[in-house]
Amino acid sequence: MSLLVPCPHCGERPYTEFTFGGELRPIEADGPEADFAQVYLRENAAGPQAERWYHEAGCKRWLTLTRDTVTNTIER
Amino acid sequence: MAGSIDFEWRRVPFEDGDTVASAVHRTGVRTWNRSLKYHRRRGLYCLTGDCSNCLVNVDGEPGRRACVTEAIEGARVRRETGSPGPEWDVLAITDRMHWLMPVGFYYKAFIRPRWAWEFAERMIRRATGVGRLPTDGRFEPKRARTTHCDVLVVGGGVAGLAAAIAAAQVGERTLLADEGALGWSLSAPALQARIEELSAEARAQPNVEILQGHSCIGLYEGPSAALVGPHGLVEVEAGRVIVATGAVEAHGVFPGNDLPGVWLGRGAARMAVRHGVAPGNRAVIVGEGPEVQDHADALRDAGAEVSLVAGRVVSANGRRRVTGVTVETADGRRSFACDALVLALGHSPRDALLRMASGLPVGGAGDVVLPGCTPEEAEASGRRAGAGEPDAPSYPVSWPAMEPDGYVCICEDVGVHELEVSWDEGWTSSEILKRYTTATMGPCQGALCGRHLAFFAESKGAPPAATGLTTARPPVRAPKLEDLVGGVHEVIHKRTALHERHVSAGARMDRSGAWQRPGTYGDRREGYLAVRERVSLMDVSTLAKFLVAGRDAAALIDRVFPTRVRDLAPGRARYLLALDEAGYVMDDGLLSALPDGRYYLTSTSGGADRMEAWLRNWSDRLDLSVHVVNQTAQLGAINVAGPHARDLLVSLSGDDLSREAIGHPGHADVTVAGVACRAIAVGFVGETSFELHHPRSRSVELWDALLEAGHAWDIRPHGLDALDLLRLEKGHIYLAQDTMPDDHPGKLGLSWAVEASKPWFVGKASLERMAALPLQRRLLGLEFDRAPQRGAPLSVDGRIVGRVTSCGTSEVLGRHIGLGWVRCVDGVFPETLNAGALTARVAPTPFYDPEGVRLRA
Repeated sequence: MSLLVPCPHCGERPYTEFTFGGELRPIEADGPEADFAQVYLRENAAGPQAERWYHEAGCKRWLTLTRDTVTNTIER
Repeated sequence: MAGSIDFEWRRVPFEDGDTVASAVHRTGVRTWNRSLKYHRRRGLYCLTGDCSNCLVNVDGEPGRRACVTEAIEGARVRRETGSPGPEWDVLAITDRMHWLMPVGFYYKAFIRPRWAWEFAERMIRRATGVGRLPTDGRFEPKRARTTHCDVLVVGGGVAGLAAAIAAAQVGERTLLADEGALGWSLSAPALQARIEELSAEARAQPNVEILQGHSCIGLYEGPSAALVGPHGLVEVEAGRVIVATGAVEAHGVFPGNDLPGVWLGRGAARMAVRHGVAPGNRAVIVGEGPEVQDHADALRDAGAEVSLVAGRVVSANGRRRVTGVTVETADGRRSFACDALVLALGHSPRDALLRMASGLPVGGAGDVVLPGCTPEEAEASGRRAGAGEPDAPSYPVSWPAMEPDGYVCICEDVGVHELEVSWDEGWTSSEILKRYTTATMGPCQGALCGRHLAFFAESKGAPPAATGLTTARPPVRAPKLEDLVGGVHEVIHKRTALHERHVSAGARMDRSGAWQRPGTYGDRREGYLAVRERVSLMDVSTLAKFLVAGRDAAALIDRVFPTRVRDLAPGRARYLLALDEAGYVMDDGLLSALPDGRYYLTSTSGGADRMEAWLRNWSDRLDLSVHVVNQTAQLGAINVAGPHARDLLVSLSGDDLSREAIGHPGHADVTVAGVACRAIAVGFVGETSFELHHPRSRSVELWDALLEAGHAWDIRPHGLDALDLLRLEKGHIYLAQDTMPDDHPGKLGLSWAVEASKPWFVGKASLERMAALPLQRRLLGLEFDRAPQRGAPLSVDGRIVGRVTSCGTSEVLGRHIGLGWVRCVDGVFPETLNAGALTARVAPTPFYDPEGVRLRA
């Protein structure tokens, strides 16, 4: 089934309850160049991508999951 | 159930199972509409809900297809085109003036003089053959809902039902949607019986749900499907989709093909079989194939005299309706007299949904992939699709049956002649022809004419890239706007606990994000002067309020915000900036340290949800043990401000509210008028002030007590209007009004609120990176010689270098003041600028009480 997001707290819920938080990126950048890349450049992967989702209309927890951006399937 | 409808103020009886079309057709009505551009007569044609010929107004709702609208007792049905009506139409003259409206005339005519277009447009709009929208403001809000299934089957014919059964048998949760009642579009009685058997079998499956009266208007990534049903929009999230939308009988293009009395075969047969009424008394059926004999039998049973002719239609003859047809047969060209010409030229798959879903797990079943297949073949195809092995489409893309004249697109009045002219003008591909002529863009969305357009481009010798079908896009069936806005246009109004108090005090309530807030209580000046000279109240319950607690509360705040946190003792408060990862100011607020390592954080009213997500995200990313409790809705807050603010609170409280007990900025837990409050001494308006945060349930009581006790100082509440000037006098910014999305603290003069020496905080690396760049733009205080306007451009020597973001006239200062963006000019920030005819001088902020003497009093 398409786009059910596995929330570790609430179980599988429709993606419409979530806010997309973008690609998972490192927290710290080493130097100005790396910082620029971290803030402004995205991998924009065609395929599996680690990303952040926020269960805004649910338990309000953040989760990291891997979604294939081509097939929209979520690894569990 | 039998009864009668009101057709143009005439009582028209209907039988059990009648549609509006069949009931009215029985009374002898043959002209249903006048066409869009040339006001040609149009009659019943497809009878399957595809073409636009039978659009009528039913009970005030325009654009309803009579052929799929059930006749209901008392329904008011009106034809809606033609002046004054479709039977007699003065605008029929336009059919003799095609030269006046050549193809693409919107791009060619009425260009000069320019003023002519305004009149011409109004005339053209009035003259077009379309219905009128009701203007009485009726609007029935519809709901939207989302549902999930493993398999969605679109179409409830034999293929669709077989697919649903097959999918359900392998254990998949199946949803079947059909735009009408199951089997509504079928004509052959044997097929009808099979549908009943299959639907009984489908209903017996525990995991099949059937939605009748739901049209699928589009397929999207997911795959998800949008269905429009009687109660609004249904969004279906499906594992896979099976499209079993069947085929539409092929449209014929020849001179006279749009005359009333020309019918598509299945439609004519359906009229005869289901409603017992023949399309005419003398029918000529042109075509070949197994269905044709069935059609002939059906029409004869309904009382028509029928001739079967094999061959190519050369033309349909007649002026107001068909009176004869000329056919190129094996024995040469022959003419036949008739009052109904029934076309059985083949089938054109209704495949728009399939084509828009390329790359998605979407397959077809039945006529849509095997057009013209037998019912048995359709059923087998459905079973294969249901089991997960759908048939690949097998049919030519173009439709090779077109005479050199006739209407290709009957919805938009585009004939072969128009396509020829456009081609000669250089519009030489099917996509471009579509855009230029609007062919395929009418209510049928190319279901009838798409393949003819592709054929035309192909026959002109266009290269493969310029031929073929045009891109299929939603909606494939016409939804109503009220369906589309269902669930989308839901306006949220948030009210504070004091809403009724504001309204009864005569406040003008303003929309501020989702909140309703008092703008002014009648006179902005009264509230403003009460703050500056006496004492005033403002409802600030809309502030975002968070309790941050837990083992790592201090660590979270220290690492997320650029503010100095470690030395903030319980009872103290500090201005707080929130930066995003790019180092740009995202929000601001006030941080109060509570005992036991907890914090109370207030931030901008509109940003509560974003701030909560932000705090939770960082807590999770940094793997900290923190509780974030959003208390925005739980707590109310009233700001008591003015030189007598402390006097007022002292009169209502036994607690120590002295300067020593509550620092500035600082806070203390006190009881005011019997209500437990957290009093935060903070100075947004520049006078002694205390925000009283308290349980929302006590807001009214507290507000009333404060107003009552405030009589002694002639207290007045103030709203957003007064606040705007009060904070401006102090030079405080409004986020979003005074700031831009790429403002780092330096540009706003807020570098003092950043503790750069901290080892890490969100945005620190970006701030350091940007610190190496020269400052190009700053938000500065401005003073004007006259009252300026917000948004006015600021210029130096005629060159625009900034704009005014906030401004006002300060009564207590007697100055015209403002804030605005100023760009660096040749390495320096200008001191004097022009704001239109006004002169602006850069001035230091705060404008009012720059030393903060009053604030700390």
